[in-house]
Amino acid sequence: MTVLVYLEHAAGTLDEPSLQAATLARSLAGDGHAHGVVASNSVLQALEPPPPVGTVHVAVHEVYASHAPRAVAEAIAELGERLDATAVVGPGSERGNEVVAHVAALLDLPLAANCVDVRESEVTRVRWGGSLLEEARVEAPVLLLTVQPHTVAIELGADGAPAVEPFTPSLSGEALALRVVERVGAAGGGVSLADAKVVVSGGRGAGSTEGFAVVEELAALLGGTVGCSRAVTMAGWRPHTDQVGQTGTKIAPELYVACGISGATQHMAGCKAAKRILAINSDRDAPILATADYAVIGDMHEVLPAISAAIRAARP
Amino acid sequence: MSTFVSGIGLAAVVAVAGAFFLRRARLLYRIVGLGQPVDRSGHVAHRVRDEATIVLGQRKLLQRLVPGVVHALIFWGFLVLFPTIVMAFLAAVDRDWTLPWLGRQGSFFLLVDVFCVLVLVGVASAFAIRKVQRPARFEGSHLGEADLILGLIALIVVTLLLWHASRIALGLNEWPATWSPVSNAISNLMEPGEWLEARERIFVWLHVLTILGFLVYLPRSKHLHIATAGINVWFGRTRARGRLEPLDFEVEDEAALRLGAGTLADMTWKQMLDTMSCTECGRCQDVCPAWATGKALSPKLLIMGLRDRLFAEGPAVLDGADATPLVPGAVTDDVVWDCVTCGACVHECPVSIEHVDHVVDLRRHLVMVDSRFPAEAGSMLRDVDRASNPWGKAQAERAAWADGLDVRVLEPGDPAPELLYWVGCAASFDERARASARATATLLAHAGLDVAILGPRESCTGDPARRMGDEYTFQSQARQNVATLDDAGVTRVVTSCPHCFNTLGSEYPDFGGRYEVVHHSELLAELVRDGRLAPAAGTEAVTYHDSCYLARHNDVLAAPRELVARIGRPLEMARSGKRTFCCGAGGAHMWMEERGSAVNEERAREAAATGAETLAVACPFCTMMLDDGVKQIGAELRVADVSVLLAEALAAD
Repeated sequence: MTVLVYLEHAAGTLDEPSLQAATLARSLAGDGHAHGVVASNSVLQALEPPPPVGTVHVAVHEVYASHAPRAVAEAIAELGERLDATAVVGPGSERGNEVVAHVAALLDLPLAANCVDVRESEVTRVRWGGSLLEEARVEAPVLLLTVQPHTVAIELGADGAPAVEPFTPSLSGEALALRVVERVGAAGGGVSLADAKVVVSGGRGAGSTEGFAVVEELAALLGGTVGCSRAVTMAGWRPHTDQVGQTGTKIAPELYVACGISGATQHMAGCKAAKRILAINSDRDAPILATADYAVIGDMHEVLPAISAAIRAARP
Repeated sequence: MSTFVSGIGLAAVVAVAGAFFLRRARLLYRIVGLGQPVDRSGHVAHRVRDEATIVLGQRKLLQRLVPGVVHALIFWGFLVLFPTIVMAFLAAVDRDWTLPWLGRQGSFFLLVDVFCVLVLVGVASAFAIRKVQRPARFEGSHLGEADLILGLIALIVVTLLLWHASRIALGLNEWPATWSPVSNAISNLMEPGEWLEARERIFVWLHVLTILGFLVYLPRSKHLHIATAGINVWFGRTRARGRLEPLDFEVEDEAALRLGAGTLADMTWKQMLDTMSCTECGRCQDVCPAWATGKALSPKLLIMGLRDRLFAEGPAVLDGADATPLVPGAVTDDVVWDCVTCGACVHECPVSIEHVDHVVDLRRHLVMVDSRFPAEAGSMLRDVDRASNPWGKAQAERAAWADGLDVRVLEPGDPAPELLYWVGCAASFDERARASARATATLLAHAGLDVAILGPRESCTGDPARRMGDEYTFQSQARQNVATLDDAGVTRVVTSCPHCFNTLGSEYPDFGGRYEVVHHSELLAELVRDGRLAPAAGTEAVTYHDSCYLARHNDVLAAPRELVARIGRPLEMARSGKRTFCCGAGGAHMWMEERGSAVNEERAREAAATGAETLAVACPFCTMMLDDGVKQIGAELRVADVSVLLAEALAAD
C-alpha cells in the first residue's frame, strides 16, 4: 500500500498533529511506501523533526505563503495520482481537515475525519464531540482520512531524515483565486482569549462599547486580552469572538479580572479553569463573588482607572 | 332534457372528476404509506372527545374569536348543507327527484337558508380579514389560492340559493316555501315562464359542476385540510404533550435503526399527514417566539417546506428513487435550531399538527448522523454526558446550595423518604436559581414533610440533550436516573424545574421509571391550602410568568397563581396560561447563542408593561433568562421564584 500523508509545518518545523498523522500513515502503509507532502512558498532543505516517511515531497508555489486549502489539495491530488497512492492521510487539525476535505471534493471521494485508528479500509473515528467512537468501513478506491490530534503516539523516522524532493504543482485558476489580502490581529496584542495568561473582561456593568476603554487600558497594562460576557455580545458592544463562557471561549488564564459581570452559570463554566479570579462589581450579592478569589465592591468605572493608575505609578 | 340524457351526462362528469380526485387521493395515500411507524392506536374515548371538541366544536379555531367564528360559520354551514349536495345531484338527473322525507321537511330548508346566509357572511368576513385587516400570520401563505377557495365556496352557496329560489318560483318545491324566507324572497324577483324553467336547470347544473370542480381542485390545494384535518385530529397525541417519542436503539436490524428524520423517507406517517393537513392559517407563526424576534423559523413555513418536499419528491421515492436530505433542502439549518420547543404552535394549531416533533426529529438526524449543530452547544452535550450536568460543574458540589440548611442527603441503603426533592442542575448550581432550592427546602421542612435529596447521585435528566436531538445521551441519563431512583425506593418526587418535572413525570415512564411527580408550586399550594404553611398576605403587585413546560405542556397553571394571589396582588400579562410566551431558554437554547432580537427581552418588556413590581416565575431557567432580560431592558422589576416569595411571606408573618 502506498500512503501519502499531508504535513503542516512552520518554516520546515512540523507540528505534533502532523507527526501523529505521519505515524498512523506509516503503520497503514505496512510493507509499502509512506510519502509525505508539504506545501511551501520556498524550497525546503529538511524537515524537523524527521517524520517516519521515505520521502517528503515539497510542493513549491508562492500561493503557499499563506493558507491556501484548495491549492494545497490540488498539489496533493496531483502527487497522489503520480505516486498511485491508495490512501491520503492528513492531520485532524482545523486546517488539515479543511485541506483533506478539498482533496475529497476534488476526487469526489468520501473522507473519514478525526480517525484514531485504521485497519485497511476500516477506521475508528471520534464522533459527537468526543463522546463516541465509531467503527466505519470506507468503500472507495482511495482511502481519505484525517487523524484526531493527540490520539496517536508519535514515532519519528528510524532511518534518519527522509529525502526531500521539491516539485511545482500545476494549479487551477480556482486554486489561485483565493488569497489572503490582510491580517488583522485580535485586540490585546494578538494573544487569543483561549491562550491568554491574563484576561480582563467587562460585563453589562461596562454600560456601552465606549465603557470598555477602561477594560482595554488595564488589559494592555497587564499584557492581557479583553473578554466580555454574553450580555455584552447580546447588546452588540463587543463581537462574539470576545465572549467568555460556555457558549463562547473557554479560558484558562493565570488571572481573570471580571468587571461588572454578575457571574451567570454559563459564564462561570467558561472561566472555571482560571487560576485566580478577581471580581469587580458594584452589587454585593452578585453570584460571581461566591467563586471569586478576590473581590472589589465598587463601580468598575472608578476601580479600574485607579488600578491602572497604581500600576503605572509602580512601574519605573 | 330527458332523465336518461341527464343521467348519462352527470355520470360522465362525476366519473371524470372522481377519477381526478381518486388518482390524487391514491397518490397521497401511498405517500403517507411510505411513512415510518408511530403508535397512535388506542385511547378511543380521548380521540372521540378531540373530534367532538376540536373538529365539530372548532375549539382551537375559536381561541381567536373573530376568525374562529368566521371559520365555524362556514364549517357548520357545510355540515348542514351536505344533504343539499345529494339533493342537487338527484335533481340534476331529474328535476322531480329529491331525497325521501328530508326533501320535504320545511324545518330543514329553514336551516339551509339560515346557514346559506351565515356561510356568505363568513366568506365575506374572511375576505375582509384577508383584504382589509391583512394579519401578519398570512405572510408566506398562498394568498391567491385562499381567494379562489373562498370564491368557490361563495359560488356553491349562491347557486344553491338561486336554484332553490327558481324552484319556488316554478312551484317545484317539495317543501312549504314559507319555510325558506331567503330563497322565497329571491324567487319573488324571478319572472315566471319558459326561460325560468331553463334557468332552474342551469342553476342546479352550475351548482353541481362547481362542487365537482372543487372536488378536483381540493386535493391539489391547501384546502386539502377538509379531507385530512379530521383524520389528523383523530391520530393526534393523546398522551402527555411534553413527551417526545423515544427512539429505539436496540433494534435487531441495523437498517431499521431510525435516527430522526434525514429525508422524507424517515418521517413518520403522522408527520406526513401533518404536512397535508396544514391550511397555512399562520396561527402557529403568530405565537412563535422565534418568529416574533426575527429569527428564521416560522412553524408554518417549516410545515409548508416539508409538505412541498413531500409532494415534489414523494412520487419519485414511491418509484424507488432515493430521497434527498430535508436539511438544507426543505428547510434551512437555522430554522431547525431556532425552535425553543415551547409548543405554542402545537397548542394553537386547529388541525393538531405537532410541529415540535418535526423539529426534534430533524435535530436528531443532524446531531446523531451528521454531527451538525450549533458548535457552542457541543460543550453542553459533553458536560451532560461526562459531568452529569450541563455546565460541567463538579458533582460533589451538587448539594452545596443546602449548606447550613438541615436537608437530608440520601445515601445508598438509606430508608426511602416519603418525598424526594429532585433539585435539578439549575437550582443546584446556578447562584440565582439556588434561592429557589433553599426556599423550597426550608418551606418543606417548615411544613414537617419527610424530604430527602439525592445530592451527588442526582444527575441531569437529559432534557437539554434530548431537546437538542441527542437522544442517545438522553437515554443513557434516563436509564441511569431511573436505576438510582428505583434503588432508593422513591415513589413520590417534587421538582424545582419544570423541565425535570416534564422529563421525570412524562418521559421516564418510557424507560421504566414510574413515580408520582409534582412541581414545587403544586406542592406548596397544597400545603398553603391545608394550612400547613400560612403566609402573610401582601399588597405588592405581582405578575406571574407561566413556564411553557408547566402550563402548556403539563397543565400546571392554577397552583402557582394560588400562591401569587395569597402573597401579593396578581396582575396578568397579555400572554399567559396555556398561551404563555417562552422566556427563550427552552429546546436547549440556554446553551445556544441567539440570533435576531432576544426572546427574554421581549417577555421582560411584556412583564414590565403590567406595572407589576415583581415578576414571579416557577422555573430556574425562566428565572435566569427573565432576570437577564429585565436587566437588559433596564426595567425596575424583581424576578423571583414563587417559592422564594412564599418563604419571604412566611418569614414576614
